[in-house]
Amino acid sequence: MKNILVIGAVAAGTKAASKARRENMDMNVTVLTRDEYISYAGCGLPYYIGDVIKSKDELLVKTPEAFKKEFDIDVLTHHEAIDILPEAKKVVAKDLKTDKIKEFKYDKLILATGASPFVPPIKGVELNNIFTLRTVSEAIKIKQLINTGKVKNAVVVGGGFIGLEVAENLTERGIKTAVVELLDHVLPMYDKEMALLVQNELMEHGVDVITGEAVEAFEGDSDGNVKYAVTPSKKIPADMVIMSVGVRPNTELAQKAGIELGDTRAIKVNHNMETNIEDIYAVGDCAENINLITGKPAWFPMGSTSNKTGRIAAINLFAENAERDELRGVLGTNVVKVFNMNAAKTGLTEREAVKEGFDVETVIVPADDRAHYYPGYKKIVTKLIADRKSHKVLGAQIVGEGVVDKPIDIIAAAITFGARVDDLAKLDLAYAPPFSSAMSSTITTANVWLNKVADKVKGISPIEAHEKLSDKNVMFIDIRAEEEYMVKTIPGAVNIPKGRLKKELKDTPKDREIILICNVGKNAYLAYLTLKHMGFEKAAILEGGINAYPYELQ
Amino acid sequence: MPEKHINCRGMQCPGPIVTLFKEIKTLEPGDIITIEVTDFGFKKDINAWCKKTGNELLSLEEKDNVITAKIKKT
Ligand SMILES: Cc1cc2nc3c(=O)[nH]c(=O)nc-3n(C[C@H](O)[C@H](O)[C@H](O)COP(=O)(O)OP(=O)(O)OC[C@H]3O[C@@H](n4cnc5c(N)ncnc54)[C@H](O)[C@@H]3O)c2cc1C
Repeated sequence: MKNILVIGAVAAGTKAASKARRENMDMNVTVLTRDEYISYAGCGLPYYIGDVIKSKDELLVKTPEAFKKEFDIDVLTHHEAIDILPEAKKVVAKDLKTDKIKEFKYDKLILATGASPFVPPIKGVELNNIFTLRTVSEAIKIKQLINTGKVKNAVVVGGGFIGLEVAENLTERGIKTAVVELLDHVLPMYDKEMALLVQNELMEHGVDVITGEAVEAFEGDSDGNVKYAVTPSKKIPADMVIMSVGVRPNTELAQKAGIELGDTRAIKVNHNMETNIEDIYAVGDCAENINLITGKPAWFPMGSTSNKTGRIAAINLFAENAERDELRGVLGTNVVKVFNMNAAKTGLTEREAVKEGFDVETVIVPADDRAHYYPGYKKIVTKLIADRKSHKVLGAQIVGEGVVDKPIDIIAAAITFGARVDDLAKLDLAYAPPFSSAMSSTITTANVWLNKVADKVKGISPIEAHEKLSDKNVMFIDIRAEEEYMVKTIPGAVNIPKGRLKKELKDTPKDREIILICNVGKNAYLAYLTLKHMGFEKAAILEGGINAYPYELQ
Repeated sequence: MPEKHINCRGMQCPGPIVTLFKEIKTLEPGDIITIEVTDFGFKKDINAWCKKTGNELLSLEEKDNVITAKIKKT
């Protein structure tokens, strides 16, 4: 009987094993993992810490017993693979409970060794109560410590998804939490003005956000428990620290066996998930991806991609050429909840698109996620990134209290099928008041982009506007009603409601640089047309208006 | 003390704030006004508005997607 061997038993490994079984009912399927827990929902760990998920058992999708009973798959926990012998087609593993060395023969081998948190060599990082969060065992330790009631202050190092999810959950448990992020904003993989909207949400919920600084040391007490995280400007109290500065693919085992790594240092695979060594496949977080837009190597260690690649490898193990499955590439689509705010992204950021040499044009458009007269609607802000010449959609980010996953999935689908912004604007999307708007946020955003590219309006981004605040030659005009202006506006803006623009600006020099401000950009667009008509040469609107402006308002 | 109730459901901003401005002018100090709004941006705006106008925000509640603010004119 032929042997299919899988190393790693979380998302990609268990998916590959289950699918391999369904494809090959007459073979042995064996899975090795060094961990105690298998097939768990890593993505649920922050919510387990936050007690949204009460018991660890809720995180465990399937036990080894269930794999045996339901699929006749042997899952051996506490078994660490220490060598792959491609010539002999064997894997050497160590039973961590007995220290026994065992050999496993394979006809086909699938590597699903995943990724591990990266821990930088910071002084004091070995102190007690400094954790990473990747496995169920780590989550249990963290939760146990919190349950003692001794954690009053916590520091999260790293402001990526996991860091922010953890910060939210610690805050919900009554712990004063600080997030330290080296870049100048949280969510490093987002564009700054979008990420800042999320950062504001964190701060409004009492999380201290320290950006542009690295933790240089941890200080502890005489028992060796961490007490402070030290940055160049601050000494932050910390009874507990979660290190989440990123993950690295687990590739030592593969490398030792001569398996090639890619540019991203993850295991290089082709579209069929094959490595450079025959009969060895790599799937999930340990494997490299291809960016669907650029065609270049990329690494998106995501549960969504892990499951797909696991399935593809399993199909290909014994498939005839014509039946082989493949993954052309991924977009790195993601979504995260931070308190009441949701953020989602697909494709390239503006930064990345510029770096790739595209002729980039972007717009930022706030909209309601459904009909404004149907209670429960919330705001979302969409940033669309596309190429001026080809009109090809390159990426999008959506942030807000409303539904963001639907529109980001629409755009992810559009990019996958090579859509132009013109196509996006004409999509026939479902509409009834409880769900959407007659002109959905996606369609509106596409239309605004097309207007901008057709030079119907000149927009300036919130970041540019913010930089111009101190420039006395620039006139910021808030064209909203006086009542709204009074509640909040951009510091230094004057209030000229749009009906009075003609009268009040009649003596202003026509070469004066003017930035028009409203709530979302739509009324400012109208005002812009008025000013253009009056002969103003350097008028522009604040893209996304007050709603998308992430800096201080007064 | 007279209490006034205004319904601004379905109104998008600036509707609720502008309406509130108008209504509060018709009241006497100490009077209470309750406003119902479905625009979630109002939650932040009403806090800022009360701070700037000096009126007192007695309560701010969210139920079944409707925000209800109770304000005392000062
Ligand atoms: C807190 C958190 C939140 C997340 N949230 C999301 C989310 O919202 N959305 C999303 O898409 N993704 C999310 N992810 C990422 C997602 O969990 C991973 O992409 C997914 O777990 C990867 O699965 P994998 O099977 O490739 O690797 P892993 O989950 O890393 O599993 C690999 C397994 O292989 C074992 N192993 C490694 N080497 C050996 C060896 N030599 N011998 C034996 N066993 C070995 C490891 O011990 C491990 O058990 C999150 C991750 C974390 C930690």
